[in-house]
Amino acid sequence: MMKHIIYFVLVTMVLSSCRSGEEKQAGSEFDVPDSIVNEGVLEISEEIMQDIVQNVSSPVEMAALVKSLGVPYSKKYLSPTDRVNELSTSFKQALNLGVYGADLGYLNMYDKTSAVIDYISAIKVLSDGIKVGQFFDFITLKRLAQNNQNLDSLMYISVHSFNQMDKYLRSSNRSNLSALIVTGVWIEGLYLATQVAKEADHPELAERIGEQKIILNDLLLILDNYKSDKQFNSLITELNILKKEFDDIRITIEKGEPEAVEENGMLVIIQNDKSVVDISPERLESIINKTEKIRKRLINI
Amino acid sequence: MKLIFRLITLFCLLYGTSSKAQDNAQLVAQCAANAGNNVTYLKDFIVKLDAGTPGGKAPSAKFSMILSKNTMYRFSICSSPNSKGEGVLQLWEMNDMLGSTFMSATGKDYPFFDFKCQKTGVYHVFISFKEGKAGEAVGILSFVKKL
Repeated sequence: MMKHIIYFVLVTMVLSSCRSGEEKQAGSEFDVPDSIVNEGVLEISEEIMQDIVQNVSSPVEMAALVKSLGVPYSKKYLSPTDRVNELSTSFKQALNLGVYGADLGYLNMYDKTSAVIDYISAIKVLSDGIKVGQFFDFITLKRLAQNNQNLDSLMYISVHSFNQMDKYLRSSNRSNLSALIVTGVWIEGLYLATQVAKEADHPELAERIGEQKIILNDLLLILDNYKSDKQFNSLITELNILKKEFDDIRITIEKGEPEAVEENGMLVIIQNDKSVVDISPERLESIINKTEKIRKRLINI
Repeated sequence: MKLIFRLITLFCLLYGTSSKAQDNAQLVAQCAANAGNNVTYLKDFIVKLDAGTPGGKAPSAKFSMILSKNTMYRFSICSSPNSKGEGVLQLWEMNDMLGSTFMSATGKDYPFFDFKCQKTGVYHVFISFKEGKAGEAVGILSFVKKL
């Protein structure tokens, strides 16, 4: 009898432990459709891909640059959230998850907490769609946004959730979805930069737009692994059109030795290399126009 | 009896994995908070390494990322309380080391260093443990400001 009781207690404990583990570890119980699992042999190894993917595009930095230029907040730079339920395939969901992630970074940067809730809700729908909703603590995010308090935590949880989701996708053989999210973040960041550059002359922004040549090349290297998929192929075609616009941008490097200095007891490394980006006003204009068209098509692809 | 033993082992394994993930999440949150108030967390690098072989090179973990021109970033390192070794984070570009949380010339450790990036491109973070000891640590990349 005692044996049976111990057996029952242990089975209950194991089962309950499995259930709680699933919430945190993104259980393997999900029935992942074949279409969203990596197929075949990748042209570059998973390890190299992971090297490239890390921080290809951050949802924070472009928004920070725009804000540092004194550009006021505008809702017109953001992708509308009203069509989120129409995004039915994992391809569209992942790409737009990246787009909304970049928008969320922009809203957080400008402390626009009331609008944040719409974007958090959209992200929830899309992340649930590709079975990674468990990495977003939506309840806490909403509470922080609604109370308009502890905005640093709001930013931390948002960015950390995206990172967790990205790590999980890459470790569970769904790097293709991770690549789509990264692409979405990148295109939305470029769209924000180009729209701001369209309205006023900002040399630093123009230079940053020109530097996207480096990132676009890396992004295409990643996406090329999935070109056998029709939707990926269409995405690559669009981005290759954009790549052509960047082809004649020259980036030259002036070499210098890095310096380590202590400022107020803190170690600061100053890089004395310098990059100079040569981008003509005409080229900038054509990139602005092309980005606008491509972003419109991509979010509706 | 055998079955009970197996179930206990399974339970310990499952519980251990879940509490490990929680420990990592806590260390990441704590390390991100230690990076300072006016910085924005961007990435974390969770590392667990075995000890190196005597006389051999200290094992290290590598992470690559794109950093942007005219931006100040902060690189922080936090060793886990259970770690045998003390974590060291180094920033490299191609074959040049740009910065480290441990300055071998002075023997001084820093919980973080700031990096004034002047060139958009691919950079690499290496995390290892002093004297090639085994260890667990978290590295954090934060955005400080536009220059």
